[in-house]
Amino acid sequence: MTALLLSLFRYKRKAQIDLNILIVFLFTAVLSIGQTPTDALMMPPKNICILLSYDYGHFDRYWEGDNLRSNETIASVNRTTILPMAAVGIFDDLNFYIGLPYVKTKSSEPNGGKFEGANDFQDFMVALKYKALEKSVGSGRLSLLTTVGYSTPATNYLSDYMPYSLGFGAPEFSLRGIAQYQLSNGFYVRGMASHLWRGYTEAERDYYYNNGSFYTSLMDVPNAWNFEGVLGKWFMNNALKLELNYTGLKSTSGDNIRAYNAAQPSNKVKFDRLGISLQYYPPSLNGLGVVGYYTNVVNGLNTAKISNVGLGLTYQFNFIKNTNNEQNAQ
Amino acid sequence: MRNKSAILIIIICGVVAFVSCEKDLHTYLKYKDYSYSRADENGGTWQPILIDEGAAINIDEPEDISSDSYQAEISALKVSMNEIDTSQKKALAYWGNNAVVRWNEIALELIAKYNLIPGPNDDGTYTLPNPSNPNGPPSFPFAHPPYASRALAYLSVAQFDGLISAWHHKYLYNRAAPYQQDNSITFAYEPNDIPSYPSDGAVLARVSKKVLLAMFPLEGDYLQKMEDEHLESLLLSGGNVPSDIVSGITIGDEISTIALARAGNDGMKNAQTPKAISDSIKAAAFERFGWQWDNLEVPIRPVGLTPLFGKVSMWNIANVEDVRPIPPPVFDSEAFTRDVAILKDHADNMTEEKRRIANFWQDGLGTYTPPGHWNRFTNEFMVENKMNPLRSARTMAYLNMAVMDAGISCWDAKYYYHYPRPIQLIDGFKTIAGTPNFPSYTSGHSVFSAAASEVLAYIFPEKATLVRGWAEEAAISRVYGGIHWTFDATVGTDQGREVAKFTIDVAKLDGAN
Repeated sequence: MTALLLSLFRYKRKAQIDLNILIVFLFTAVLSIGQTPTDALMMPPKNICILLSYDYGHFDRYWEGDNLRSNETIASVNRTTILPMAAVGIFDDLNFYIGLPYVKTKSSEPNGGKFEGANDFQDFMVALKYKALEKSVGSGRLSLLTTVGYSTPATNYLSDYMPYSLGFGAPEFSLRGIAQYQLSNGFYVRGMASHLWRGYTEAERDYYYNNGSFYTSLMDVPNAWNFEGVLGKWFMNNALKLELNYTGLKSTSGDNIRAYNAAQPSNKVKFDRLGISLQYYPPSLNGLGVVGYYTNVVNGLNTAKISNVGLGLTYQFNFIKNTNNEQNAQ
Repeated sequence: MRNKSAILIIIICGVVAFVSCEKDLHTYLKYKDYSYSRADENGGTWQPILIDEGAAINIDEPEDISSDSYQAEISALKVSMNEIDTSQKKALAYWGNNAVVRWNEIALELIAKYNLIPGPNDDGTYTLPNPSNPNGPPSFPFAHPPYASRALAYLSVAQFDGLISAWHHKYLYNRAAPYQQDNSITFAYEPNDIPSYPSDGAVLARVSKKVLLAMFPLEGDYLQKMEDEHLESLLLSGGNVPSDIVSGITIGDEISTIALARAGNDGMKNAQTPKAISDSIKAAAFERFGWQWDNLEVPIRPVGLTPLFGKVSMWNIANVEDVRPIPPPVFDSEAFTRDVAILKDHADNMTEEKRRIANFWQDGLGTYTPPGHWNRFTNEFMVENKMNPLRSARTMAYLNMAVMDAGISCWDAKYYYHYPRPIQLIDGFKTIAGTPNFPSYTSGHSVFSAAASEVLAYIFPEKATLVRGWAEEAAISRVYGGIHWTFDATVGTDQGREVAKFTIDVAKLDGAN
């Protein structure tokens, strides 16, 4: 689940080694929290949920085309993301999301490239989630939701600096469909499918090779499909949630990373990622929640084989009455 | 309902906004065919580079325009032009009326395609590209900046000589173009009065294909396709009949053979030395100066890039040592200490402007290299000045001879002085540009760019201030990138200007002014 969320928003780039990874991380982080653009949770009106998460991603291999390789020039690349995000209940069936991650990248020492890493705010993201349907089906409840999201770079970070670039550097518009079926015993399954329309990112050079010459500083960041499948269960009277998730991303166009060459935002990216997340709302701490997760990219194309681990804190409160409404939230 | 409508509107607006932002990303220089600023009727008398004179290559005297064979060619041409299809029209628009630009762009694209440094094998060794086994892996060539400068020089020089010969015969035989002879033929481009026998376009197509094939041996199919398309466009434009083209091909074959014979013996095949020779070059520098550049990659590359490129035959300078720069600062000097502080300051206080400059001029792996970048500018200037193909080829020939001489001179300095890079001498130093696999002093970008800018300033005087400013920015970009000392850049700029003088002196006397 977590993955979807983030993915919604922004990032994802295909190209580089790590962009994807980043994205994944971010999403992952967000998702795990609950009340994200990709899950099936809705906030009650006048409630706000604040999330602050820390994500640590790391990879020492990446797929150059479909060839999984290491590269001592970059050695092992670390990617740290701090994500503040807020979910706001507008109506019972409409939630608003806003977030802005801060990302820091660097290579482990020693490495052969001696490249400086990067750090800055990445992409500003907003999303609206709408619950179109919720009804009893058999012994459980079926929910259908849709999310529209938009993200755009918040700073002038350089996308054409893989694998250290903070993101793919282009605006993204996303449209998601989410379906969840939950049994009364707390088990649920959820599926999400989305399309990500990505715009152009601007490089600081006006020539690049993408299966041919391009005499422009604009790079077309390929659009992508994004899928998620989740198996989850609530425990302890809905205080603890455990999820196993699969996230897939597939660019619809783009070029391959060339041999022993840097990735670039125009690359075609695919990945399959598996993850587990745990979310806990201690009944004694009204409105507070903790979320932790781990994800690992198991298969990919022009992306990093990155694994991420994250920890987040959530706090939900009614911003009109200033009271907690935690239980309603889920 | 209210929510549903709002969501729907947001979705539609979002998709429309994204789709409507589709941009045309140019893959070649877009220009409208133009009326040449001059025909250069005396172009056949200009002094070529490789042959003694334009008349040195013989072609048959053309058939008279009243002959049956010529009239049959005209009739067949009209039939072909009437049957022109969409892809042929597209090809006509693409090739335009200055194919020097297009063949140069093809060369730049191949350079970018092959400008990939071989990575290490699993056991930590490196395998070098081998021209006798071009498929590799790694594939041949590795089109690094010296290789690129040389490929472009041979391409441009051969084009120039071929077109001088073409111009000689054009004005010797004075056979007007088909569209000048027959009013029912409409020329695809702006008309001109340049005779059509032999076809200058065919000279370009054949010379370019042959030289580029020698430089990029795996590209035979692609180059043949481009040559075929270009030759067909020459016919379908209404500007040439087949006999114009056949005679142009004859010139192209002869000139490319002569050019490639020079290339085969210019010393390039020895430039990438075995480790023993590389080690002795390094030891000689240490003996002389007490320092040596070391590769710091993981695993270490045993040999730097083309240690003996400095020994390759120059075009316009008799002895490379005549233009060798002064020695770089010793490590305990004030000049060196000051430079270390400058480098650290740039790294600690990187600005968006410095980053932009470092990236704009980086022209690193996977790109057309600095020589390619200056060729790209030159293509734009040639079109802006409405140059005919002959004058364009001349421009490119002097540009690329000076740029290759600049590379040779720079590499001579690099391996003579063997000066370390900033990452080798400043502890823990990090860069935003990739540190190349060759010594620091002098900066290749600086020497290439200064030489190129001087030739362009000579040919396009109105651009002098602009291009000299660019050259200085290209030079300092390497310091911002963290991979060069400031003296690599400043001395390299002086060096490039000095090298270019020799080529410009030749240009001044070639009869084209």
